[in-house]
Amino acid sequence: MAKGRRAENIIIGKELIGLESKLLPLKIRHEDVRRFAEAIGIRFNDRVPATFVGTLVQAIIPGVELPAPGMIHGEQNITYYRPLCVGDSLNYKKCVKDVYERSGKLGKRMFVVLETTGYDLAGELVFASSSVLIAPSKEEGE
Amino acid sequence: MKSLLDYQVAEPLPIREWVPSDLQVRQYAEATGDFNPIHLDDDYARQAGLEGAIVHGMLTMAQMGAMLTDWIGEEGMLGKFNVRFEQIVRPNDKITCSGSIKARSKNTLVCILEASNNKKERVLSGLAYVMLKS
Repeated sequence: MAKGRRAENIIIGKELIGLESKLLPLKIRHEDVRRFAEAIGIRFNDRVPATFVGTLVQAIIPGVELPAPGMIHGEQNITYYRPLCVGDSLNYKKCVKDVYERSGKLGKRMFVVLETTGYDLAGELVFASSSVLIAPSKEEGE
Repeated sequence: MKSLLDYQVAEPLPIREWVPSDLQVRQYAEATGDFNPIHLDDDYARQAGLEGAIVHGMLTMAQMGAMLTDWIGEEGMLGKFNVRFEQIVRPNDKITCSGSIKARSKNTLVCILEASNNKKERVLSGLAYVMLKS
């Protein structure tokens, strides 16, 4: 993404809802978790920190370059259906769960909900992690 | 040591204090691949109307997660962990993560979460569901 590109120039609308990435294999590797634990400043004890799944950036949704520079990360909601462990093999994907507009003190803003879901090899849901990203509305300034 | 089962509604959780550094923000970017210049480049952040580079929201959330997992230990697991980022966090801010029990059932503790800075501004609020091992 080009430096200095602002969210106002990116078209964000309801048409993005439902777009998703391919299902990608995900191996919870010891080295990646250890590095993550070190970066957040905790002692690594073979447990996977709850926010580790927030770092899955490899899954690309075609035509959707999000989060775009200028967008604000408003919320993060993570649900585990069972514990995630070092050594686990999963598959995961990303999708645009929702796009909506809200008016508030800061004017009209667009909200985009990007969801990452992880499944075990039997296809059972293991985790869901949603980011709510906020951008100024595309009508703003027109 | 006090068991999770001993915690009553409205009781506070053990707090976690944290001061992010520029180095930690850089390490977090490298460990996660989130190289958004708003976190790494003061000039870029100033052009975007901020006072300087800001800490990744997910790094602040990770501190709240560390507070919870230190508290939970081996007695349970984090089932739900939801946060709202309310204020920007900058390197060298003094952040205090805290929480309290909102509700409890036989096998679940619902916790209210809050992180604030040294100006007493709330930077993050949230909710966690802790599932107890049976």
